[in-house]
Amino acid sequence: MPDLPKKKVGIVACSGEEMAEGTVTRLAALRVLEQLRPNETVTICLPLFLAGGEGDRAFARFYPTIAIDGCDKRCAARGTEMYSGKPAASIVVTDVIQTNHLGTARRLGEAGMHAVDVVAEQVAQQVDELMGVNWDRKQGQSSKEAQPAEGLEAKIATCSCGSGIPIQKVQVDGQEVTFIALPLIFEQFHDAGKLPGDGTTAELMETVKVYNPIPDGQEATYTQAVMREYAAFCQEKN
Amino acid sequence: MSKVVIVPCSGIGKSYGTVAREGAYVVTNDLRPDTTQLVPLSLLVLGDEQARADVSGAQAITIDGCKLACATKMVAESGGTVAHDLAVLDVYRRHRDLKPAGIAELNEGGQRLAQALAEEVVSLVDALSPNPSPTGRGEPEGGQDA
Repeated sequence: MPDLPKKKVGIVACSGEEMAEGTVTRLAALRVLEQLRPNETVTICLPLFLAGGEGDRAFARFYPTIAIDGCDKRCAARGTEMYSGKPAASIVVTDVIQTNHLGTARRLGEAGMHAVDVVAEQVAQQVDELMGVNWDRKQGQSSKEAQPAEGLEAKIATCSCGSGIPIQKVQVDGQEVTFIALPLIFEQFHDAGKLPGDGTTAELMETVKVYNPIPDGQEATYTQAVMREYAAFCQEKN
Repeated sequence: MSKVVIVPCSGIGKSYGTVAREGAYVVTNDLRPDTTQLVPLSLLVLGDEQARADVSGAQAITIDGCKLACATKMVAESGGTVAHDLAVLDVYRRHRDLKPAGIAELNEGGQRLAQALAEEVVSLVDALSPNPSPTGRGEPEGGQDA
């Protein structure tokens, strides 16, 4: 498999500017990203799915995401599903905390900050489930994976801006098709000395199919197009 | 005459996003509550009918926290007229002494940068409004939301 970026959970908060619950989502997401699970999470700005590139939109097709919404309009969950992939988990603040006294969108009150705590804990638990780890509360770290050396732990939110999965657009039978991870796959095959040819074609296409659905009956045209691009890639490298 | 729509980016990965958000609150809550209206970006992303209607029938000022300019792109995609698009980074370049830090909570430099940003936005709002309000309510931080 291509050496894709390390698995992380994407946190998508609605950040709704007009309501206190939106601010709760934003601060809860930051609490998870900066304090509770800094090594296991990245954030994706919701509008980046539209304004960013294909790589940003591809994120949720590769990695699990947790949507945090302030209200039942569920902009984060629906937006993530619409433009990237269905979130693995979805939390709505108004389902978790039922009070009208959170404060204002600009400044949360005591109840609002409590809501941040509660929502952040729920998100952290979801992160653990998605990462398949048991969280050691005493140690403050996962009990499964090796943790970074002391002092190296991330202390700021990791933004996914511009760090999405690489894609490549390929002409297939006269139509432009976006292939996810194709540049990484090409790079890996080339580095392994697997040059274009009959022996490479089947293996390369098997890898491509892991990340890209190929419509029924179009395998031959897709294979032809991908191998043409791979030949060009190798020629450029050499 | 409809209110001038203010659309900040909802950037959550950098301090500049928080400055954009805070600056929008300063404008819509404190300085020009009567002539401006904040429209949440997430609703535009979802294509919310009311948010699209608010944007499509008004002049919009967008405030972006990074070069991807999500707010500006979304307003344009929603059928709105972007009268002015401000980038927090450009405002910071004009106020190098106000270095923002923090995302959940801005440092003092970030708060002051948000204020400077808001004052730039207000001058643009006033130019767009036929009868600009001379002063806002002047609410302290934590005032009513838009």
